[in-house]
Amino acid sequence: MGTQRLDFAEFYREARDDCLRTVLVSVGDRDTAQDLVDEAFARACASWRTVSRHPAPRAWVVRTALNVGVSRWRRRHREVPVADPGQVAGLAVAGGSGGTPAGPVDPPIMAALLRLPARQRQVIALRLFLDLDTTRTAEVLGVAPSTVKAHLARALAALRDDLIPSQRQEHPS
Amino acid sequence: MNDEELMTTVRESFTAVRSDTPVERIVSRSRAVRARRRIPGAAGLLAVTAGVAVAVVTLVPAGQATGHAAGQRAGAQLAAWTVVKQADGSVAVTIRELHDPAALQSRLRADGVPASVISGGQPNPCQRYPRGGGTPLLSRMVTAKPGTNYNVFFIHPAAIPKGAGVQFAASFKSQHGRGGSGVTVDPVTASQQCTGTGSGSGSGSG
Repeated sequence: MGTQRLDFAEFYREARDDCLRTVLVSVGDRDTAQDLVDEAFARACASWRTVSRHPAPRAWVVRTALNVGVSRWRRRHREVPVADPGQVAGLAVAGGSGGTPAGPVDPPIMAALLRLPARQRQVIALRLFLDLDTTRTAEVLGVAPSTVKAHLARALAALRDDLIPSQRQEHPS
Repeated sequence: MNDEELMTTVRESFTAVRSDTPVERIVSRSRAVRARRRIPGAAGLLAVTAGVAVAVVTLVPAGQATGHAAGQRAGAQLAAWTVVKQADGSVAVTIRELHDPAALQSRLRADGVPASVISGGQPNPCQRYPRGGGTPLLSRMVTAKPGTNYNVFFIHPAAIPKGAGVQFAASFKSQHGRGGSGVTVDPVTASQQCTGTGSGSGSGSG
């Protein structure tokens, strides 16, 4: 039991930030993401014997966090409307809840991510922060690898369209 | 900016986003997760236990289990009730259905309980004892086993005063004669019509 707990603690320390970033991109709210990730890690800890043997434990945590989020949303049966993704991005990164710095995500980048369809956001987040390849991403999301490739390509194109003009405005040559 | 540079830019913009939850809190939360998982397990265990109890009460021929049973018509007939005389003189009655109330009544009387058992819709031959009340008396005469889904009563014949008896009545009864779980117990005035005993007879007679 002690060895298991050490293994989990090590895994948690190494994975928690990337899992939080991945879920944050998917849900768009810092506090919600933090709670979902905490719950997912708690479930991982409770089933550590199984999760530790998973081929991608980080992906398991993210998938679990997203599932928990969906379950909660279904229970509440309502959706919080997002009027201004940029405003949400500002809220999302400002809410460090415990004193640890949660430095701001570049608002244009967060806004551009939040403008992506949910599935594209998930695909690019898994690629960005968990470094999952196409096959693993497809497994995590339960879609075909070709779908992942298509989502990734569209997401990158949309981000490029969104971000490069804004960067040019910020840094005029 | 190619794809890799774009992804690097996006990735680096999140470097300051860090989880601030200590591992101890996660481990503590995992205990709650385990506890939540155990609740359905415990409920399942209870259900299994209850199922076993049902099987014992209903499937074992009551003649073997207790020496008293109803529903002896066919091999698959479930025991509707069982009567067990306890070492302390009390009589335990488990009623699943008030099926064949006359047989239960006879069995109780044979075990020394001035009893009347009626099912729903049947004319009541008894009068309450004493008139206008009787709850304190009833609580001495009959106790119910708490925490069960069945009607399990312990009749204490020694606490039944002379001239009194106990009546079990199904609070409702289906058209097929299967009384539901609603069984009421009342102290009644002993009589030949009600408990098969005269008003002057004492406990244990019958």
